[in-house]
Amino acid sequence: MSLQNVTLHVPPKDKLSGRLDVLMMVSGFLLALFVGMHMVFVGSVIISPKLMNALAWFFEELYLVQIGGPVILLVMVGHFILGARKMPFRQKEYVAFRAHSKMMHHTDTTLWLVQVATAIIILVMASIHIYTMLDTLPITAAKSAARIQHGNWMPFYIVLLAAAAIHIVIGLYRIGVKFAVVTRENRPKARKFMVYLLVAAAVISFLTHIRLSLLTI
Amino acid sequence: MQTIYTDLLCIGAGLAGERVAVEAAMAGFRVTCLSIVPPRRSHSSAAQGGMQAALGNAVMGQGDSPDVHFADTVKGSDWGCDQEVARIFADTAPIVMREMAHWGVPWNRVVAGTHTYYKGGKPFEAEEAAEKHGLIHARAFGGTAKWRTCYTADGTGRAVLNTLDTKCLQYGVEIHDRTQAEALIHDGERCMGAIVRCLKTGELKAYIAKATLIATGGYGRIYRATTNAVICDGGGQIIALDTGLVPMGNMEAVQFHPTGTVPTDILVTEGCRGDGGTLLDVNEYRFMPDYEPEKAELASRDVVSRRMIEHIRKGFGVQSPYGEHLWLDIRHLGVKHITTKLREVYDICTNFLGVDPIHQLIPVRPTHHYSMGGVRVDKNGHAYGLKGLFSAGESACWDMHGFNRLGGNSLAETVVAGTYIGKQVAQFLQGYDLDIKSAAIRDAHDKIAERIKNIATSAKGRENCYQLRNEMQDAMMEHVGIFRNEKDLKEGVDKLQALYERSMNIGLQASSKGFTPEMSMALRIPGMLKLALCTAYGALMRTESRGAHTREDYPERNDRDWLNRTLAYWKDGETLPVLKYEEASPYYELPPGDRGYGGGKIITAELPPEKLTVPSKGKDEPAAKPAKSAKKK
Amino acid sequence: MSRRLHIEIFRYNPLDPDSVPHMQSFYVNEYDSMTLFIALNIIREEQDPSVQFDFCCRAGICGSCGMVINGRPGLACHTQTRDLPEHIVLHPLPVFKLIGDLSVDTGTWFRAVGKKIEAWVHSDDTAFDVRAEEARMENALAEQIFELDRCVECGCCIAACGTARMREDFLGAATINRVARFYIDPRDERSDDDYYDVIGNDQGVFGCMGLLGCEDVCPKKIPLQDQLGIMRRMLALNSVKGILPKGILDKMKHKGCCHEKH
Repeated sequence: MSLQNVTLHVPPKDKLSGRLDVLMMVSGFLLALFVGMHMVFVGSVIISPKLMNALAWFFEELYLVQIGGPVILLVMVGHFILGARKMPFRQKEYVAFRAHSKMMHHTDTTLWLVQVATAIIILVMASIHIYTMLDTLPITAAKSAARIQHGNWMPFYIVLLAAAAIHIVIGLYRIGVKFAVVTRENRPKARKFMVYLLVAAAVISFLTHIRLSLLTI
Repeated sequence: MQTIYTDLLCIGAGLAGERVAVEAAMAGFRVTCLSIVPPRRSHSSAAQGGMQAALGNAVMGQGDSPDVHFADTVKGSDWGCDQEVARIFADTAPIVMREMAHWGVPWNRVVAGTHTYYKGGKPFEAEEAAEKHGLIHARAFGGTAKWRTCYTADGTGRAVLNTLDTKCLQYGVEIHDRTQAEALIHDGERCMGAIVRCLKTGELKAYIAKATLIATGGYGRIYRATTNAVICDGGGQIIALDTGLVPMGNMEAVQFHPTGTVPTDILVTEGCRGDGGTLLDVNEYRFMPDYEPEKAELASRDVVSRRMIEHIRKGFGVQSPYGEHLWLDIRHLGVKHITTKLREVYDICTNFLGVDPIHQLIPVRPTHHYSMGGVRVDKNGHAYGLKGLFSAGESACWDMHGFNRLGGNSLAETVVAGTYIGKQVAQFLQGYDLDIKSAAIRDAHDKIAERIKNIATSAKGRENCYQLRNEMQDAMMEHVGIFRNEKDLKEGVDKLQALYERSMNIGLQASSKGFTPEMSMALRIPGMLKLALCTAYGALMRTESRGAHTREDYPERNDRDWLNRTLAYWKDGETLPVLKYEEASPYYELPPGDRGYGGGKIITAELPPEKLTVPSKGKDEPAAKPAKSAKKK
Repeated sequence: MSRRLHIEIFRYNPLDPDSVPHMQSFYVNEYDSMTLFIALNIIREEQDPSVQFDFCCRAGICGSCGMVINGRPGLACHTQTRDLPEHIVLHPLPVFKLIGDLSVDTGTWFRAVGKKIEAWVHSDDTAFDVRAEEARMENALAEQIFELDRCVECGCCIAACGTARMREDFLGAATINRVARFYIDPRDERSDDDYYDVIGNDQGVFGCMGLLGCEDVCPKKIPLQDQLGIMRRMLALNSVKGILPKGILDKMKHKGCCHEKH
């Protein structure tokens, strides 16, 4: 028992730090899983708009969208708050970290700043996205195409998608590192795999957008 | 001036210092350790090979006992050691190793089953016993009859030091790092602590202590080519010598290690040869068996070093821009062995030499390595001449090493002496009352403060301390090396004397506020020159060859006239030490004989029978039996 | 062939009221197998004796000479100048308290964290029996412990850590590695809960953001990444003990690592 914080030991042992850490990892992982499935769902338009419509109908009939949407939003905000504990919000911290990353020229260190930036982007843009989606139910391929073709939403989605993909890829790698799944031995492999994952996401998103912008409404 | 009170003041926080500190702290005393660097950076951390202790667990150590260890140590010392101390050491070592294991040292352990080991470059198989599985293993080292050296890979010093440092933390030993003791506080009879310079601020502080321990390691930096760290400047020996009361023992006994690397002088462990590495010459021919048929590369260090120089002088050295050298070959030990058990060696070779020891030869030559001499203490670690002053480890001349120490014995000495002397210190502290004399404190402080002032203001001149150091190192390399003779030594002493006089006039080249590294060097140089003079002058006067002290003009070991220990005192204002001599050992459990390696003639001594009897064993019993090797020849 | 090195050194003496932090340039002729240890000593002995830096063993064993070399923390003594460009920029290690120029106080820092994590084998010292044979241990385990005990506390991993730069109370990789060393040592009688007490918080394992600066600069190549991961996983699972079924926890705990008490 550490004498440094023995005074805190009269109450039952406090395992909060660990649980928050687990929660952050689990929420991140679930969100990543969701985004992956979401990408497959929207990507189904590449095969056929009808398939996408059918899937959307299926999810809505089961109230997965109406309940799932807000839940995802909540999980996302929760995940952000958990992550924000580490973010350099204080100016002193930010300056220190910037100086550090500039000094080190170290990819993994720089990527963390990217992680912070994309987190904030996603928080704002994904909230907007979820709100508009839920506001204009039901989801159909035609509506999505209309937003891309006439609603000037294209730049919005490109930024959101890029941010989400990058954040998730870095995040998964980081979870792996933190919990010794990515080890010294397999780290080069893991990094390569993450790059492939990012490319795959980019390709699917690109094709989806092409398909949606070519879709006749 | 700040004054700090403590029960035990340990000057130096390497293995010996920390081991004594832990012993005293466990006995309930307040202990403060001073150290130039954070304790884990002490030069003990660089010790690679291991610690000798007769545990006899390894198959090649079967039948080992403290008796055999004792005999090896005495032979290694060329009968220059104090046999009572060597006995204490050999008997205590196994217990101390086990205690270190209990405290957390990850000793390499015996793995039952058949293993391939190497001896002299040739593989052989041996079976480790199942009932020894998991006990502390041992490797071979030079000059030993059995495999006796306990080890953790080739980072034994690091592993043991880390463990001891954790114990210091646990038992609340206070560590004041970046401090250097500049003078002992004493009243001519008793030591009361030290005046200490803070190496962060340059300020002087007084540390008042009931007992003071000097454990500052060696003084290898008086040589240019040394394996010693840059902090091994003999700080502890200097302050003891400065009192004029405490003598240095056997300063001429200086060890050169056979395998210092070229050109960086970084050591590669004797474990390389212990594990089966060989020495090769310019023709990549293994020459050691020609000189030493029995022990070959694993004769004692003084012998191997001498043979290497001999071989180079015959024209078999490898030419290089950094001078001639020989090769160390460990390639046959294989990738796995080199990257695990000799990993530090692998790192040193690749990082500093650009040599891959798995496929290439390592350039080596004998390099200054160890000081057998130091602050002369009795068997309890109590310094001659001052009550309350102790010393342990390399800085001391406890004298279990005599004129040559065996590899693995010094690292073992640090903790064994640390344990033994630690207990004596704790006993001394029990019920000891210290009369603090403020005049003594003021005197000591004022002397140092004035020196600092004179140096800072260049009041006595502008001699450059770095230049003086370089000239001292050159003089030592040139005149007080492995092979010595009267002409060289005389010249060396003259040069050193002149340098010593110049060192009174050191002035700073760059002025600086607060701490400046130049001041540290400037303060140290006169003392280092004193140590150098003790070494050179002692070597000049000792007209025989014994252990590492080799006189070309007196090649015999002369037991008739020189079975003794040099004691060097320094009187204030002199430029040479006063040498006195005392008998090497109170009695000779192992009577002087042939070492079994190294060759050379012996002028025998007529020792009275009572000198050949161990007192505690009673006079009737003939306790001593001649050394086995002496019988053979 | 030989280059003239331009060595730029951070200079500041906090004890001198006239001193301000600045960079000072020195020029040194390079020669074969020159290390920064040699170059810096030439500067001190021939050009400016007031330059402060720390060296001790000069063989990469003691860890004294950690400094930032062209942006990366490393040991100066085993850095060969031939591996560096002609222009070399040297800074003291960040995070640690500056003593002067390139010299920082790592000793005080490491002792403080050592106390915090109670860095010693927790067992009964009085139980040591001078007559008894030592407790047995597998050689493989001894080697594993030593692998972690090789740390020289040079401070490079701390200086390379983004978290440590932002938050002063972060313990850093060397410290967590030290805990890992005791964790695998069967002689240390502390339980998982005890280890959770010392590093199961945002100053310890959960503060690590996985940036791997430590892993990439460690001069002794200590498996910091793996140790951080293993300790974090162990303590994270410890924190949800009682929430998830024990069978699953046990399975996850030892997956891909060898960190069981032997």
